[in-house]
Amino acid sequence: MQALKIAATGMSAQQLRVETISNNLANMNTTGYNARRAEFADLHYQQISRAGTVRAADGSVLPTGVQLGLGVRPAAITVHLAQGAFSATGSDLDVAIEGSGYLEVTLPSGQAAFTRDGSLKRSAEGLVVTSEGYPVAPEIVIPPDARSLSINADGEVYAYFAENVEGQLLGQFTLAGFANAKGLEALGGNLFAETEASGPPILGNPGDDGLGTLLQGYLEDSSVDAVREVTELIEAQRGYEMNAKVISAVDQMMGATTQVR
Amino acid sequence: METATYAILSRQSGLLREMRIVANNVANAATTGYREGQLVFSEMVQDTRHGASVSMARARIQTTSTAQGALTQTAGPLDMAIEGDGFFMVETPDGERLTRAGSFALSTNGDLVTPAGHLVLGPGGAPLFLPPMAATIHVGPDGTLSADGQPMGQIGVFQPTNPAALVREDGVLFRADDGADPILTPRVLQGFLEGSNVNAISQVARMVEIQRAYELGQSFLEREDDRVRNTIKALIR
Repeated sequence: MQALKIAATGMSAQQLRVETISNNLANMNTTGYNARRAEFADLHYQQISRAGTVRAADGSVLPTGVQLGLGVRPAAITVHLAQGAFSATGSDLDVAIEGSGYLEVTLPSGQAAFTRDGSLKRSAEGLVVTSEGYPVAPEIVIPPDARSLSINADGEVYAYFAENVEGQLLGQFTLAGFANAKGLEALGGNLFAETEASGPPILGNPGDDGLGTLLQGYLEDSSVDAVREVTELIEAQRGYEMNAKVISAVDQMMGATTQVR
Repeated sequence: METATYAILSRQSGLLREMRIVANNVANAATTGYREGQLVFSEMVQDTRHGASVSMARARIQTTSTAQGALTQTAGPLDMAIEGDGFFMVETPDGERLTRAGSFALSTNGDLVTPAGHLVLGPGGAPLFLPPMAATIHVGPDGTLSADGQPMGQIGVFQPTNPAALVREDGVLFRADDGADPILTPRVLQGFLEGSNVNAISQVARMVEIQRAYELGQSFLEREDDRVRNTIKALIR
């Protein structure tokens, strides 16, 4: 019985929606996290009677056909690239990206990854690294005797020393932009990798055309909107129940059929 | 003698078919741009060769609801919804198709594409291009695209010449065999997506109706069976 299977595709679609929502809610306080949304598309249609079929000798045609759909399938889980709110941390190595763009980090394998999580630290060697210890590319080394750091909007890093009033330029943060940032592959740990769909990274200094600027002492919050997620959760739950109702109705119809002598 | 059974059977198989359409509507209650399908029963008069005619039920006509689906704000710059009539035109490997699902993205070449990778077309049938690193993308109420203040073309909104002859295809696409014409003054909303226009409450109500009608048909078949059985018994005795 086809209707049972159709309702089953509906149930698994709503379940996927709940899974996406629960992942969003779980990442409500993840720095730089962008909410995901499950997108669905209808499945193939079975032609029962084709529109335009000649049905009488006088040449009159069926104006509309009958097509029976086979249910629903997940089409995509899209990332909603929205700017999250900024929270002040006061730490001189925390940077928030105002606008689009990603910081490039080098994974231990040598592969490049991209992140919007700007909670940077300094390693034992003075290297600027992410919370997980991956060095930021291009590498910036902070001298051990530097008293304070200043990162301007264009990504230039200055260090201040006790003996000198003027700052010393240590390096420059670059940002990577993508033609289709929604096409990046999430690696976990706030990291993304380049894919065929995202296109190669377009590297530039912060503030260059299309790229955002840096803000020192702030971190970008998660862009998850809890109210929205909860509303969607209610919708998904009711949708799930409605599909279950279809299954029980079809089951009862089948019951009526088998009772006929 | 079997005519009564056949007449009710035609109704039963139509009801099963309608149940599938209801199940598909409910399953697609969260599908962006999905249009509710409905089935219309019609009477088919059959000549019985004995003079009198018998009416059969036939479910051969399907309609597509054109009601506006709920608009949800996503704030995505490339999420678009059409307010009122019309469809976006996309270029698939099989030809041009219409869709109401406006969740678009940029390809690596900067072309405006659907999540399935089909090109979105302008009113003249040309693909739309946006500079890959544009800081702000704005879509005007008439579908005019601009990147950093520079006009980059217009999103095409089309109306099928014969809306009744739309053929559904997977991926929330419609095929218009009779062609489609661009709407001169479309209403496109940026940052919104149109949800499915399935009315869940009416679908559940219809589902209960179908179920009961089906059971009614089954009990009719049972009674008919009893009647024939009793007749045979009376004749044998």
